[in-house]
Amino acid sequence: MSRSAGLLIAACMAIGACDTDPVVMGPDDDPFDGDPIAIPVLGRGLVQERVTAEVAVDGTWAYTTTWGQLQAVGNALKVWDVSGPIPQLVDSAIVDGAITLGDVQISDDGALLVVATEIDNGSIVVFDRSDPAHPVMLSRHMTDATRSRGVHTVKLGRVDGRLYGFLAVNTGGTGRGQLVVVDLSDPANPDEVLVLPLGGPNLHDVFVRDGYLFTAEWDDGISIWDIGGGGRGGSPTDPVRIGGVETLGGNAHNIWWYHAPGGEQRYVFVGEEAGGAIGAQSSGDIHVVDISDMANPREVAFYTIPAAGAHNFTMDEENGILYAAYYNGGVRAIDVRGDLGSCSDSEREAATDRCELRLMGREVGVALEGDSYVWGVARSGDFLYASDMNSGLYKLDISPLR
Amino acid sequence: MGDLALFVAARAALAAIALGTTFAGGAVAQPVHDRNGKTSGLRLGAHGTLLGTYATPVLGGEAASEAYLTRPVLTALFVGANGRLRASGTLNLEGWTLVDGELNAGMWGEGFVDRRHPHTFLHELVATGAISLAGIDASLTVGRGFAPFGTDDPMVRPFVKYPVNHHLAQILERWVGIVALRRGPVIVEAGAFNGDEPTSPESLGEVDRFGDSWALRATVLPLAGVEVQASRAYVESPEHVGGRGLDHRKWSASARYEPGLGDFAAYALLEWARTDEYADGRRLYAFGTWLVEGALGRDRWRFAARWERSTRPEEERLLDPFRTVRPHHDDNINGATRWVTWTARAERSVTVGGLSVTPFAEASRITVAEIAGGIFSPTDFYGDEKLWSLSLGARIGVGSVHDRMGRYGLAAPGGTHH
Repeated sequence: MSRSAGLLIAACMAIGACDTDPVVMGPDDDPFDGDPIAIPVLGRGLVQERVTAEVAVDGTWAYTTTWGQLQAVGNALKVWDVSGPIPQLVDSAIVDGAITLGDVQISDDGALLVVATEIDNGSIVVFDRSDPAHPVMLSRHMTDATRSRGVHTVKLGRVDGRLYGFLAVNTGGTGRGQLVVVDLSDPANPDEVLVLPLGGPNLHDVFVRDGYLFTAEWDDGISIWDIGGGGRGGSPTDPVRIGGVETLGGNAHNIWWYHAPGGEQRYVFVGEEAGGAIGAQSSGDIHVVDISDMANPREVAFYTIPAAGAHNFTMDEENGILYAAYYNGGVRAIDVRGDLGSCSDSEREAATDRCELRLMGREVGVALEGDSYVWGVARSGDFLYASDMNSGLYKLDISPLR
Repeated sequence: MGDLALFVAARAALAAIALGTTFAGGAVAQPVHDRNGKTSGLRLGAHGTLLGTYATPVLGGEAASEAYLTRPVLTALFVGANGRLRASGTLNLEGWTLVDGELNAGMWGEGFVDRRHPHTFLHELVATGAISLAGIDASLTVGRGFAPFGTDDPMVRPFVKYPVNHHLAQILERWVGIVALRRGPVIVEAGAFNGDEPTSPESLGEVDRFGDSWALRATVLPLAGVEVQASRAYVESPEHVGGRGLDHRKWSASARYEPGLGDFAAYALLEWARTDEYADGRRLYAFGTWLVEGALGRDRWRFAARWERSTRPEEERLLDPFRTVRPHHDDNINGATRWVTWTARAERSVTVGGLSVTPFAEASRITVAEIAGGIFSPTDFYGDEKLWSLSLGARIGVGSVHDRMGRYGLAAPGGTHH
């Protein structure tokens, strides 16, 4: 019997019914109760000459960026065929005048691939994915607003049918960061439609969904903006701030707004990158913010691992699993279904009145712990792809958690 | 002084130094001595070092040779009111002569790495007043200069190449207010200053951040020629001008010995320092240093040697591999390295007209090791873990020179104390 079938039967026994639709479950009827499983590792595509950074995946194609300097500088976008168990490198593209390609995103229709360049010659580079094995550069958007210390992250989002790039730009440490919004309706000619100073000391990342924009503003916490879906008259060119909260410890790094299968949209997860030695050490928690009242979000829970730190996320929302790249902590799978703000006293950190997800038994899977330094994770079906800064791209089998 | 006047004066001084001519002439006021034997009046000086450096490997196994005019400075010292008033200034012109920095293996800070950064044009401009009350001497120093922390600026020590520990062992080019008290052989200094470090040679610092950082230094002079100090400093967000970066908590202790040995001039320094970097009260990184150096001179010859063992952060580099992102990206570093450096130097000074010329040769053997497990690999980056630096040059100057740099008022030897 497969693990997933066993889990399903256990779940059926626990809840007394076997609906075919996913159900919202609480900790008491947790099919993942017990020790976290070791998520099977299927294979790894090696990258040895450069430091690997972010990963994006679409079907059987994955793309990784490179960062900083090893034997070569991080100016390469790598294209992987991930149809088999071991990712196969099929192509790469070099971005001129770049030393770090930080973020990589695929548009919701799969047509475009967008890469951020930072440190020197900050920009976004737009590729056409008509041939996913060999993306073709369409344009490079580099302006005074992006150039200084560059585009740290880029997220794509569609508002009223129009595709935008939301850029978190690092201004070099003398002031604030800034949000730059680029209209990608004509990807060969990106149009910069907003430059908004934001974040203290920098703006690190954003999350776009359903006409809302979430901004991770480092020590200034997070903000929620109406950009067309919040009914407050906001738009990508004129966002209207709805509310925000300073997450504990600051260093608000990245955000995911969780849409649960039952329709609940109560929680956002905020990564805290709290410093470390890249490749070896890290620190920082995942913060759970209840945004039931978007004007007054409040932090209700957190997830922490001693001597390891959170980085980027992805989610299997259908099954309520958050996958977090956790640097030297590898990959962590966290069950985020149900009420995350209710827990027993032994599961609660009294000083901050927050529930601790690990103590609640919500850590359900672990991979690559101890022998990697995982920057990002991306999911496609039953597979999770993890970019290891030290060695390349891993393919993991997450079917036991689905 | 306006930019144009500053430019013209500095260029004139530079040209004078480079051409080996005395530019000051009658502008150097004759020093006079007050009744306590202290120098009164105005003293001016101009100094610089013509330098050629060969370093190997520098990057990827490759060597590099470069030549500079380094440490071009104009100095001024005014002493008045029987030694109770003192003003001191140093104009540093490295912003023009070391635009891309000076090859200096292991040296880091202010956005440079493995090259020493140029200092700010306004390196130092301070005024000090002193009084005596109830058997205690007191002085107040205000202006732009050194915080009361650590040891003297390497610029006034025997070597042309800076130690790796410069940013661990000194705090300089800040707006300072320093109170010093002395009773017998004990000197205590307390200072407030702005935490932000310079961002360019033109940088004048954030005056509105004055007082966000502080330093304390206690010095004991137990025997003639012996100076022992311990100091502590809190520096708020030195790398982020806006004050939102990591804070530094610093310690330093040192013993300095300059005995009178008849025909010989001797100098020795033993130094320890440590800097811990904090984010919101949580310690992220710690870097430390040990350093021993000494010099022995007779007649016009002087020989010096230095041993140093220091750690430094490895930060994300720009396309120019000698420049780094500052402040830390996401509070991260790429690792840490330990630098062990042996340096030897020989020099002989001559006087040509009114010009002091000191040709020298200096060699350093450097060993670098990765210590934090990060992605930075010295062997991959430099091509070897053992590096050499060889320098030939001549220090040229006219007029007075600051014997010490980093202490003011009662804490400065030959200062306003009795």
